[in-house]
Amino acid sequence: MRITILNGDPQADSAFCGYADGLTKRLASLGHTVEEIDLRNLDLKGCSGCFGCWVKTPGECVKRDDSARICRSAINSDLWVLASPITMGFTTALLKRAADQAIPLLHPYFVMDGGELHHRPRYARYPAIALLLGAGADADNEDIEITTEIWTSFARDFKSRLVCAAVAGRPIEEVADEFIACA
Amino acid sequence: MSSLLVLNGSPRGSHSNSMCMMSPVIEGWKSSGAPEPEVLHLAQRGEFERAIEHFPAADTVLLGMPLYTDAMPALVKLYIEALAPYVESASQRDQKPTLGFLVQSGFEEALHSRPLEHYFEKLARRLGSPYAGTIVRGSGWSLPLMPENENRALVTHLRALGNQLARNRRFSEAELRVVAGTERFSPTAAAWLSLAFSSPAAIPNSHWDRALEKNNVWDRRYAAPYADALPT
Ligand SMILES: Cc1cc2nc3c(=O)[nH]c(=O)nc-3n(C[C@H](O)[C@H](O)[C@H](O)COP(=O)(O)O)c2cc1C
Repeated sequence: MRITILNGDPQADSAFCGYADGLTKRLASLGHTVEEIDLRNLDLKGCSGCFGCWVKTPGECVKRDDSARICRSAINSDLWVLASPITMGFTTALLKRAADQAIPLLHPYFVMDGGELHHRPRYARYPAIALLLGAGADADNEDIEITTEIWTSFARDFKSRLVCAAVAGRPIEEVADEFIACA
Repeated sequence: MSSLLVLNGSPRGSHSNSMCMMSPVIEGWKSSGAPEPEVLHLAQRGEFERAIEHFPAADTVLLGMPLYTDAMPALVKLYIEALAPYVESASQRDQKPTLGFLVQSGFEEALHSRPLEHYFEKLARRLGSPYAGTIVRGSGWSLPLMPENENRALVTHLRALGNQLARNRRFSEAELRVVAGTERFSPTAAAWLSLAFSSPAAIPNSHWDRALEKNNVWDRRYAAPYADALPT
């Protein structure tokens, strides 16, 4: 299986990064092709809402930055893991920046899907989506629930399903097995 | 007289649908006799910093934004992260701003913005602030596009919400429901829309076609530039 992990922790030496790295190694040792992308090291200019990715350069952000690498890796994977510590009750602005710049993966046309408005897919298939959250002292269960609820909607908009939400700290082998089983 | 700090979280800044929707709310606020609010655009350098500084002293803060991938734009999350010191100092401050939010989305149904509304209700609690409520409205693109008479009812209700914010520091549930409009399509409406959107004449889709044509890329509209993977 091909797995893309977007790590949205702005700090390099955190316990969360240690955990995410451990998970990457574990998944690779199980024979999967894993790419862990540390978003803090990328040049991401952020979405400025111009819709150029839909009407000027269809399928690509008009800004020449590393968002293309994220989109390419995610769309060609079977499992797309969004990894981030919870800060102020939600995943980081850094991870959100990457998510905002992922809309080139969708098509502008509106369609009805399950009785709701959504966008037409641009690609034939989309990866399953999983969440890896870091919950420090300032994150409670309600924060985890709200964060999961929001990313569940995100997965739906990205023609997919949130198949798993794990909180860092549990045995890495167990979380790796869970990700593989539900993807 | 109480003060209002209006924060526009649209990455498009002052010429945005978010600002268009907040304007009647601001007018409603002023119609109560309350003073002119300070308006800051988070996308504007300098104003982002000022929005952090001015936050704790405001009596009321209204934070508005477009829905971006089912949540707040990254810019707004960055701003919220900068408020972290105020969580720690909340217990020592007597005065905490009342927080109201506005979320407008591209899709028509309010349901898309509800998870984010849950987040904002919790955010107010986290900051120790009274929660005025979250104004949710779909089809945010239509307000600047539609003729004035089409928007009249919406504008009136948005003004009423601004007036309530000034007088009661709280939006009324009834008014919020009216402004939210369609929560979810009925099965009949959904079936009709499925049909409508499969036609090239569907209004939101023909809008995209016109933009694609203008840029001479209509024939590339289905481009899938990253589908370069080796088969599994
Ligand atoms: C990156 C991005 C993501 C978006 N995600 C959503 C979404 O998940 N749901 C939705 O209804 N509209 C979505 N929209 C549409 C905007 O919410 C809508 O166009 C809004 O009116 C823009 O407001 P503004 O002019 O204040 O920036 C998205 C737009 C962009 C640019």
